[in-house]
Amino acid sequence: MIKVTKQIIEECAKNLMFELSEGQADLILEDFSTVMAQIDFLKNIEGVDAADEMTFPYKDHQKILREDKPTKPLKAVDAVRNSNTRLGNQIKLPKVVGNKHDKVDE
Amino acid sequence: MTKWMNKSISELHDALVRKLVTPIELVEDCIQGVQEDCCNAFEATAFDEARKAALAIKEVKPEEYLRGIPFLAKDNFSTKGIETTASSDILKGYVPLYDATVISKLKRAGMILVAKTTMDELAMGGTGTTGHKGNTVNPYDHERIVGGSSCGSAAAVAEGIAPLALGSDTGDSVRKPASYSATVGFKCTWGRISRHGLFPFATSMDAVGFFTRNVLDGSHVLSVLSGHDSMDMSSSYRKKEKYESYVEKRKTLHRIGYFKAVMDAITDPVIRKSYADLLDKLGKRGFEIVEYDYPEKLLDALYPTYMILSCAESTSNNANLDGIRFGPKPEGNLETYSEYMVKARTKGFSDLIKRRFVIGSFSLLSANQEEMFNRAQKARRLIVDEMNRFFDNIDYLLVPASYGLPKRIDSLSTAWSTKPDFLDNILTIGNFGGYPSLTLPLGFEDNLPFGVNITGRIFEDGYVMGLGKEIEDLTGLKDIVFKEGN
Amino acid sequence: MEFEPVIGVEIHVELKTKSKMFSSAPCSFGMEPNSETVPFDLAFPGTLPVVNKEAVNYGIKICTALNMTIDRTLYFDRKNYFYPDLPKGYQITQQFRPIGKNGHVLITLDGKERRIGVEQAHLEEDTAKQIHLNDISLVNFNRCGTPLLEIVSLPDMHSGEEAMKYVEAIREIVTYLGVSDGKMENGSMRCDINISLRPKGETKLGTKCECKNLNTIQNIRAAVDYEIARQTEILLSGGQVEQETRRYDENAKKTVLMRKKTDAVDYKYFREPNIVPIDLDEGFIYDCIHSMNKLPDQYRKELSGKGLDAYQIEELLKDREFVRYFEDCLDLSVKNPVTLWNLLMVEILGYLNKNGIALKDIRPTKEQVVTLSDLLSAGKINSRQGKEILAEMLEEGKDPLAIVKEKGMEQISDASIIEQVVEDVLAQNAQSVSDWQKGKDRALGYLVGQAMKLSKGKVNPALAKERILAKIGPCGSRK
Repeated sequence: MIKVTKQIIEECAKNLMFELSEGQADLILEDFSTVMAQIDFLKNIEGVDAADEMTFPYKDHQKILREDKPTKPLKAVDAVRNSNTRLGNQIKLPKVVGNKHDKVDE
Repeated sequence: MTKWMNKSISELHDALVRKLVTPIELVEDCIQGVQEDCCNAFEATAFDEARKAALAIKEVKPEEYLRGIPFLAKDNFSTKGIETTASSDILKGYVPLYDATVISKLKRAGMILVAKTTMDELAMGGTGTTGHKGNTVNPYDHERIVGGSSCGSAAAVAEGIAPLALGSDTGDSVRKPASYSATVGFKCTWGRISRHGLFPFATSMDAVGFFTRNVLDGSHVLSVLSGHDSMDMSSSYRKKEKYESYVEKRKTLHRIGYFKAVMDAITDPVIRKSYADLLDKLGKRGFEIVEYDYPEKLLDALYPTYMILSCAESTSNNANLDGIRFGPKPEGNLETYSEYMVKARTKGFSDLIKRRFVIGSFSLLSANQEEMFNRAQKARRLIVDEMNRFFDNIDYLLVPASYGLPKRIDSLSTAWSTKPDFLDNILTIGNFGGYPSLTLPLGFEDNLPFGVNITGRIFEDGYVMGLGKEIEDLTGLKDIVFKEGN
Repeated sequence: MEFEPVIGVEIHVELKTKSKMFSSAPCSFGMEPNSETVPFDLAFPGTLPVVNKEAVNYGIKICTALNMTIDRTLYFDRKNYFYPDLPKGYQITQQFRPIGKNGHVLITLDGKERRIGVEQAHLEEDTAKQIHLNDISLVNFNRCGTPLLEIVSLPDMHSGEEAMKYVEAIREIVTYLGVSDGKMENGSMRCDINISLRPKGETKLGTKCECKNLNTIQNIRAAVDYEIARQTEILLSGGQVEQETRRYDENAKKTVLMRKKTDAVDYKYFREPNIVPIDLDEGFIYDCIHSMNKLPDQYRKELSGKGLDAYQIEELLKDREFVRYFEDCLDLSVKNPVTLWNLLMVEILGYLNKNGIALKDIRPTKEQVVTLSDLLSAGKINSRQGKEILAEMLEEGKDPLAIVKEKGMEQISDASIIEQVVEDVLAQNAQSVSDWQKGKDRALGYLVGQAMKLSKGKVNPALAKERILAKIGPCGSRK
C-alpha cells in the first residue's frame, strides 16, 4: 500500500481534476490517520481475507437484455442546451492536445 | 400555516373524493407552506407547473389514491424542466431533460410536484448542513440538525408542507432524518424501486426512499413506485405487490430480533426505555422477541466499510461533473481542457466533498485496492452474511433509529471520528444487504423526536410495512406535524 | 547479436448494432453533430447503462469465430479517467471478466499455417469524437457509446507481415460475420500494436513500445518493420528501448514518439455496480452461434475442391458478396467453376468498377449468369460472343439464351454436322492441306477459319480443329 503523504494527497486531487484549497491537504492527511486506523478494524476481522468481495447487496442475476431497438434521440439543440461552452450544436473546449489518452481523431 | 398539507395522504384523498377540496387548493396550500418554510428546506420550486397540473385534474376517483395530491422531491431526482443541483454548486443551473422514473410514476398516478428539497451536497453527509444553500434545520429546534442527507424532505414533511417527500438512502439518509423529525421514513429493497434519474452517490447502496406521516401512506406510495424499469438493469423483475394490503390487514411475520450489543450500548435512558418498552409490548402482542448476538467486530466494521465503499463509488459516480456538458463554466483564461475541468471542479465542489473523493480515489489506486476497497467489499460480505444468518430464523431486526438528541449545529465537526460509535452506523446494514427498512416515530425527549427502525429480508418490504403499522398502533404516534409551541 | 521481435496486437472492432452499447440512442453515421444521443450518452446525472442484446450476440459470434471460451455470466467494470470525449469520467468495459477467453486464429505465412493466440475479447463502449481546429476542439457525442469489442492477441507474432496477416484475418472474420464494417480507414476497426525485441533464445519479454494510428492494413506491416529496425539499431548500439507510445506517420513512413510511459495512468478499475451480473441463457448462446455466417476458412475449404487455384479463391474471398454470389451459383449446379470465376471476377467485376455499382444491384439473375457460364464452358459460344452477351445482359437485362437465339450465335457441336463441314472444307482446299503436310503450320488456322466461314461461325472451332487434324495428320508428315 502507498504511504499517505501530503504529496500523494495532492496527486490524488490532481488526478481527480481539482485543486485543494489552502490547508485542505493537511486536513485530509489527518483524515487519513483515522481512516487507516479504521482500516485496521477490517484487517482484524476473522476470515475477511478469505471472503468474496461483494459489489451487489444480494445475488439476483439478470437474464434479460435490451432489445436492439433505437429510440428517438434528443434534438442536438437540446442535447447541448445545458452546456455553457458551445459552438453551434457542439461542445467547445480549449484545444485538446497530446496527453495521456492520445486519441488520434483527425 | 398550511390548512391541508398537514394532513395525511389518506385524509387528503378522502377530502378530494368527497370534493371537500380541489387539487388546486391543495397546491396553493402547499405553495404557501413552501414560502413560509422556516427550516431552509427548499431548492427550486415548480409552482406554475404544479398549478397547471392541478387545474387539469377534474375529479378524483376513490381508487385513485394519490391523484391530486402535492409532493416534494429531494434535489437529487432528475426533474424535467426544473433545475436540479443535488445542492451542489457544480450543478448550478442544470435543467434536466428527463424525469426520474419515480417522478414520472408519481405524476402518472396524478401526484403534483411542487418543489425540490435541500440535501447534503451530492447526498454525501448526515447533517443537512453541507448543501450549497447552507444549513437545513430541525423544525423542532432550529439550533439542531434534522439529519441528512435528505434534510429538506424530512423537515418539509415534519413542518406540514406536504404529505410526501421523496428522499434517497445510501447509509441512512432517509431513515435517520425521519427519526429526528417524527416522520415515517422508508428505504426500499435495493432493486425494488428504479434508480433511473436518481443522482448516484454510491450505486451499490443507493435506494429510493420517502417520507410520509404514517405507514399506510407510505405503502400506497411504494405500490406506485415499485416494479421493474427498463432504464435500470438493477431493478428487479419480481412481481409488484399491493403493499397497502399488508398495512390494512396488518400482515406481519412473527419473530422480531434485537442485537444484544446494541441494547447494551444505548446510553440515552429515554430512548433505551422506550425501545425496551416497545419490545415488551410487541411481545405481549404475540410476537416472539429474540436476542441475537451479532458480533461486535462486525459492528465496528460498519463505519470503515461504509466510508471506503461510499467514497470510492462516489468519486467515480461524480466524475461526470466537469462543467462541460452541464453545470457552470469556469471563469478566466482556459488554455487546456484539463484547466477547464480543474477549474470547474475546484470551484464546484466543497472542501468536504473533495476530501471524500480523495479518500475514495486513494482506496481504489491499484497499489491500495487490495487492502482498502477490496477489503471493504469483503467486510461487506461478512456483515451481510451474518445478517442473512440472522434472517434465517428471525423475521425483523428492530433497533432505535437514533441514539440521542439531534446534534446542535454549533457542535458539529467535520473530522472523521477516531472511535466511531457503531450505534450511529447501525442502519448502514440495511444498505449493505439491500434490505427494506422503515423508521417511524418512537417517542420524544425534551420535545425532540426519536424513532425506531425495522429492517426485514430483501423484498419483504410489505411485511416491514405491516410491522410498521403494528408499531404505529402501539405507540399511537402517527400523523405528527410540528406545531409552533407544542 | 540476433534479436527476435515479439508482437502483440489489440484490435477495437466497432459493432454494427442499431442502438448503442448501453443506451437506446441510434448508432448511425454521418448524422448532424450531437443528434444521435439520449441523456445517458451525455452522462446526465441519474442515467443508467442498459446492455444491448445484439452487441452481446455479435460479441459471442466473434468470440466463437476466434475459438474462444464464452463466459456464461456477463460482468462489466469501470475504467476511470478524465477526458473530454469520455462524458461519464469512466468507460464501462470488461476488465476482470471478458466475454471471451483463450482463443486463436489461423493465418498462412510463407505458405505455412500459423496459429496466433487470442488472449481475450471484451465488450465496451466507444468515446465521443473530437474535431481539433486552430485553437479549439469541438466534441460530438454521436459516436459516444457505440459498442466495441476489444480483441487482445497473445504476443505471438514476430514480423510486420505476420501482424498484418493477423489483423487481416480478424478483419475478414468480423466482416464475414456481418457484425462490423471492419474498416481501418474510417475507424470501425482500430489497432494498437505492441512491439518488443529480445535476444534470440531468451524467453523474457523486452521493453515494449505501443504503436497507434495505423489506419490501413499495409501500415501495420510498415510500422512494425520500422519499429523492429529502430529498436534493433538502439540495442545494437548498446542503448535501451524505452517504454513509450508511438504513432505511425504515414507520410514520413516511420513511427514518432507520442509520449513516454513514465507516468502510467491508474485506471482504478472496479466492478460496474449498475449492471448486475447477467446470466446468458444457453438457448441464447446457441442461437447466436447457430445464426453465424459462414467464415472465410469454411469457404476456403469448400472452394478448394472446385478446381479454383489459391489465387482465385483469395480473390473471391476479398469480398463476402462475391464469394456468396459464387457459392449460390455453385448451388445452381454451374458446370465449370473456373469459367464462372472468370465471368464474375473479370467481366462482371470490371463492369461494376467501371460503373460504380454493387454486385447485388446488377440486372441479370444468378440463374442467367450460370446459364451464360454453362454456354461458354460447353463450347456453345466462344468467349468473344460471351462478352457480347454479358454486355447485353448487364445493360438491358436480357436473358442469355434469348440473345443467343436472336443473334443466331449458337455453335454447332453436333459431330455429324461438323464432319460434313470439315469434309467440304478439305475438299475445297486441297492446296492448304498439302501445304500443311509439307510443314507450313499456318495452314491449320486457315482451314479452321474456312470451316467457320462455311458454317457462318456456328461450328465449334475446337471441335472442327480436332476433326481436321484427325484427317490431315501431323504437320510436315510429307516433307
